[in-house]
Amino acid sequence: MPEQQEVEVAELPCNPDGTISHRTVREWLKLVAQAKGEVCGIPMPIEGQKLVVEPSHPMAETLALLLNAPAPEDPDDKKWTLVNQWWSRGKGAYVYVWDYEGTRMAFKRYKPHSLKQQLETLGCSHVWGLEQEGNALKLLSEMLRPHNFNQYVMTGMFLERSEKSGVTYLFRRLRPTLACTATKDDDMKMIAALCMHPIAYYQGTWAGAMCPTDDVIAHLAMMRGDEHMFWKRCNQHSPLVPEAGL
Amino acid sequence: MGEMAILNVGEGDLKLSFDPANPMEQIQAGKTVTDMLRRGYALFVEVGQTDEGQPKYARVYQFDEEKREYIIAGDGVDNTPSEEEPPMYDGDEGGTPEPKRKRGRPTTRVKAEDAKGVGVARTAGG
Repeated sequence: MPEQQEVEVAELPCNPDGTISHRTVREWLKLVAQAKGEVCGIPMPIEGQKLVVEPSHPMAETLALLLNAPAPEDPDDKKWTLVNQWWSRGKGAYVYVWDYEGTRMAFKRYKPHSLKQQLETLGCSHVWGLEQEGNALKLLSEMLRPHNFNQYVMTGMFLERSEKSGVTYLFRRLRPTLACTATKDDDMKMIAALCMHPIAYYQGTWAGAMCPTDDVIAHLAMMRGDEHMFWKRCNQHSPLVPEAGL
Repeated sequence: MGEMAILNVGEGDLKLSFDPANPMEQIQAGKTVTDMLRRGYALFVEVGQTDEGQPKYARVYQFDEEKREYIIAGDGVDNTPSEEEPPMYDGDEGGTPEPKRKRGRPTTRVKAEDAKGVGVARTAGG
């Protein structure tokens, strides 16, 4: 671990009604991370969202418990076993097959669109600051050609073709990266939607603990530097499921 | 001046600089890079440009603190995870270590004070 420093943490400024703003909590976590020598920082838990932290992060267990206290155990839960689950395009639903003491039952969870996921992603936006996003945009501008950066600023996405594999990637802000390949008819075919968040993410959303452009930078750097590892680390969604963000 | 930008939650990115005029800073940055590699961070350094003018990146497997050089992919690099490393969390249950590369061509080294790079922490999933 890098050398830990002693940092004076001033009394947290409160709002007039006694509450503390997200910005204050963000700044405080930044100071704590600096004091602990944690180079990747400490993700911010927020109420109403389950924070999933990378298991080897020093504060993974603590953060998982904050605001996500485990529900009391119901003895009846142990009798249920999930047998299989899949996305049914025809039904527009996830299908789950459960086994309850030898009896198999199927349940459907309809998800015809991703509106809920989009709104929940919007709800996570106060964990990011304009300063962090600004720093990330500056770094991304150094990694892209000017017209690609212009595309990203204007539309939130840009294309890049891998020299090694020939796969074309559509990098998108706050959405999984799409991997596409050219077909014989000069068309594009989607292979997978690649979702990956370093450090931590909020379950059921497209929001990572880092600001949106940092997630894009992580995808881009990995694709360029070690494409095999990039695919290995990503959750590979079918383009047909709502989680792909299409 | 060489820089390694570590993607960070609180700051966007944290810059580690290898300024030849500041040896103490170089030593501290080198220790941080070694620690990150041990903890499973993925570090990438710019090693040139493509024909289309895009930066080319190579993954860093080791860091020579004495010479302050990144050792990037190439024959002769043992990039098998050490026993001290935390379990791999690459989306595979149980994790699969990278295959040990065969010895042959000499390793490729990049001086830290000349290189720009990006560091990415381990994956939480997605």
